[in-house]
Amino acid sequence: MVKTDTKIEEEIRAIFSGDTPWVTIVWDDPVNLMTYVTYVLMELFGFSKAKAQELMMKVHTEGKAVVSTGSREEMEHDVARLHEYGLWATLQRGDQAL
Amino acid sequence: MTSEGFKRHGSNSYIAEFAQNEREILINLAEQIIELLAERIDHGHEDPLAAMVGITSHDSPPEDEVLHRLLPNAYQDQADSAEFRRYTESTLRNKKQAHAMAMRMYLKSAEDGVIDLDHDGANAWLGAVNDIRLALGVRLNVQERTQDELELLAPDDPLRGVYIVYGWLGWLQEGLIEALMDES
Repeated sequence: MVKTDTKIEEEIRAIFSGDTPWVTIVWDDPVNLMTYVTYVLMELFGFSKAKAQELMMKVHTEGKAVVSTGSREEMEHDVARLHEYGLWATLQRGDQAL
Repeated sequence: MTSEGFKRHGSNSYIAEFAQNEREILINLAEQIIELLAERIDHGHEDPLAAMVGITSHDSPPEDEVLHRLLPNAYQDQADSAEFRRYTESTLRNKKQAHAMAMRMYLKSAEDGVIDLDHDGANAWLGAVNDIRLALGVRLNVQERTQDELELLAPDDPLRGVYIVYGWLGWLQEGLIEALMDES
């Protein structure tokens, strides 16, 4: 019997089950103003002011926050837009430790 | 610095007035960003067709610290990051340059020093000012220095002037954001 790599197996399963196992993370940055981070999150993701402020505070106090979840392609798109506005963002698999 | 910053007028107009010296500083900073973001000379294989669709043969992060902050890695994993950079860095440079060019255009066409931004113009302006602040922040080493240390820079320290401009840009940015958020 052929032994499959479990990581590959998981990935294949995720693709076929339509799981959305990727996340976009915004990291704390000493330059970006708190109001600016809030504003960019509202503009790019359509968050309410309250929701954007909550995420901004999480970035500020905890050093990072997940701002969106979806397919890898969607998260790459989100990271590119965040980089365009100077936020420090990365994407990774959702089951990876933050 | 004499400008009172941006104020909202009506539903889609954000107006600020700048003195001549303020405009000159802002134009100069915007031009430095435009120049900084110009394409890297590619010593790798040159494929004109790939270049046309924004694919570059380099996939390593920029060596310059400022440029690296403006064009950061998208993944913590180096290999994934390199792959992403190959397909997207060129587009990101163009978008950031477009923001700085829009800012310069507003400043150059404002004969009387009055800048009138609509919502999209304000977003480009904010992006450009933020890139300038990120660049100055790297030079000021804000990552390591505390606010107190920066406040106490000696008057003859060349970074003192940089810090003053950095602070002023933050104030300018904050005012424009407040004006924009006023409507929501």
